[in-house]
Amino acid sequence: MNHLERAMAALTDGEADRLPAYPIACGVNRKLLGDDVTYAQWCSNPKTFADAFIAGQKYFDFDFAIGLMDLSVMAGDLGAHVRMDDENTPFVDEPIIHDIEDYEKLEVPDIKQGRSHVIVEGTRLFTEKLKDEVICAAFLEGPLLALTQAAGAERVFMDMFTNPSAVHAGVKTMVDYDVQMVEAFSETGVAGLVWDYLWANYSCLGDKEYDEFEGCDKYAGKLNKLVVDSGMANCIHNCADLPHLDTQVKKFKPAIYSMAYYPLIPGSPSAAEVIENGYSDNCLMAGNIDPQFFIRASTEKISKVTSDLCQEVKTALCKRGLNSRYCIASGCEVPPDRVTKLENIKAVVDVTKEDGKLGDC
Amino acid sequence: MSKEDILNGLSEAVVMGKPDQSKLFAQKAIDENVNPLDAINSGLVKGMSVVGDRYAAREVYLPQVLMSANTMYAGLDILLPMIPSEDLADKKRVIIGVVEGDVHDIGKNIVKTMMTAGGLEVNDLGRDVPTDTFISTAESYKTDVVAMSTLMTPTMDGMKDVIDGLVESGYRSNTKVVIGGPPTSPDFAAEIGADHRDANAQDSVAWLKGALL
Repeated sequence: MNHLERAMAALTDGEADRLPAYPIACGVNRKLLGDDVTYAQWCSNPKTFADAFIAGQKYFDFDFAIGLMDLSVMAGDLGAHVRMDDENTPFVDEPIIHDIEDYEKLEVPDIKQGRSHVIVEGTRLFTEKLKDEVICAAFLEGPLLALTQAAGAERVFMDMFTNPSAVHAGVKTMVDYDVQMVEAFSETGVAGLVWDYLWANYSCLGDKEYDEFEGCDKYAGKLNKLVVDSGMANCIHNCADLPHLDTQVKKFKPAIYSMAYYPLIPGSPSAAEVIENGYSDNCLMAGNIDPQFFIRASTEKISKVTSDLCQEVKTALCKRGLNSRYCIASGCEVPPDRVTKLENIKAVVDVTKEDGKLGDC
Repeated sequence: MSKEDILNGLSEAVVMGKPDQSKLFAQKAIDENVNPLDAINSGLVKGMSVVGDRYAAREVYLPQVLMSANTMYAGLDILLPMIPSEDLADKKRVIIGVVEGDVHDIGKNIVKTMMTAGGLEVNDLGRDVPTDTFISTAESYKTDVVAMSTLMTPTMDGMKDVIDGLVESGYRSNTKVVIGGPPTSPDFAAEIGADHRDANAQDSVAWLKGALL
């Protein structure tokens, strides 16, 4: 099978030759463009952004390509100050909300400018090149994540408690921003769009709070529908420790759901538990190799971890009566550090090619 | 108003996340000559412990915890200055901060709150804290604990830089070093020479209290 055939089989739980593999390698791909390409350059130039994904696909032979940049794209274009070190993931170091009234003052920026433009245009460029080889998807911050990035998470969480209407005003603007981004991405040729709905996790929000501030029909529900209506597969990434799986998988019904696994945190579900509990029944679940292994583990160690995960997943799929609905992935982005071991990314793909082979149960 | 009513008022203010009520009862405690340490421990801290337990049981979530923390600090701001310094002499001291290059501090703030509620004296160095600041403050503050966190992978090695600096300065043997944050792990803690890494704030404080005895 080629990449597209395999991915389509996994998405529909058809008979695939093996499990698909996609360590979420994004910023780290810039290393393949040469030592002089900094993280700051990669995430500020559409062509460099795209070239890195294209080089990554050629080098690693992934089954998907997802255009994750970082989580400060929208906040930066809204006016928050983004610290952009040469070799670190950019992040907001000066939020823009200082008073309750500031939520009302948020305005959707011109998405043809700034890094909103970079990510849309960069996604278009790598999709043009790769779409006949792999399923390409855009990546976008969900409204509550975009708001917490722009306003400061602690501030937003406390305002949820004391000034919920102000927070709703902010979320609504983020939804409007996301609507424009979805429409722009739908013109790039991507087959899917991946939301980062990070705050649906029980370490931070309960079902009630999440539903009120993102999960409801007028926010995430509207955006999920817009993605589908725009001809893209709706997908979700949530690398938090205790994700709201019932809401985000069973209610939102994404085509792909990418998640992490935190073995030290009680209640964090393993790949087998995710499958056993029915989350793969109608969704291609993806996970859950510890991203730190791409830096700190030996290649032998990460190969063993990948092999064990393949076996765990295949056993669980068989028990559940499923064929192929799990993608071997990293729970979060592969660390984009200079010291990340490219050979470990390659090992995950190569081991999955062998040990992820599917056959009769 | 009885002492019991004041203590209950402080505790309830924290549980409900009402800073104004916390200030009101803190002032009443002073006006009614309630021992400020009692007001803190049997009022504010008691309330924060309830919230901590509810958070661990997933009965309340981060917005409520942050509001309760805010409420506890509102009362502490009034009560702490009333405590004679000799009464605080035996308190174990902590410096806490997010390492250089990172500004994500919610986790650090939760741990700081639980440490304060656990009876530790906490000096919050903030976020994006330079390595040298951790090292120099550890010695000048005579800290018993250095607590560091980060959310991001590229800044993890800053924790090792701090520990190496503490070794070099000769202060490492005087202090426990605890770390936290999603990319860290007990293995990483061992690798860089930290004493402990826990998955949540309450367990970390419980470990510290045992280790500092």
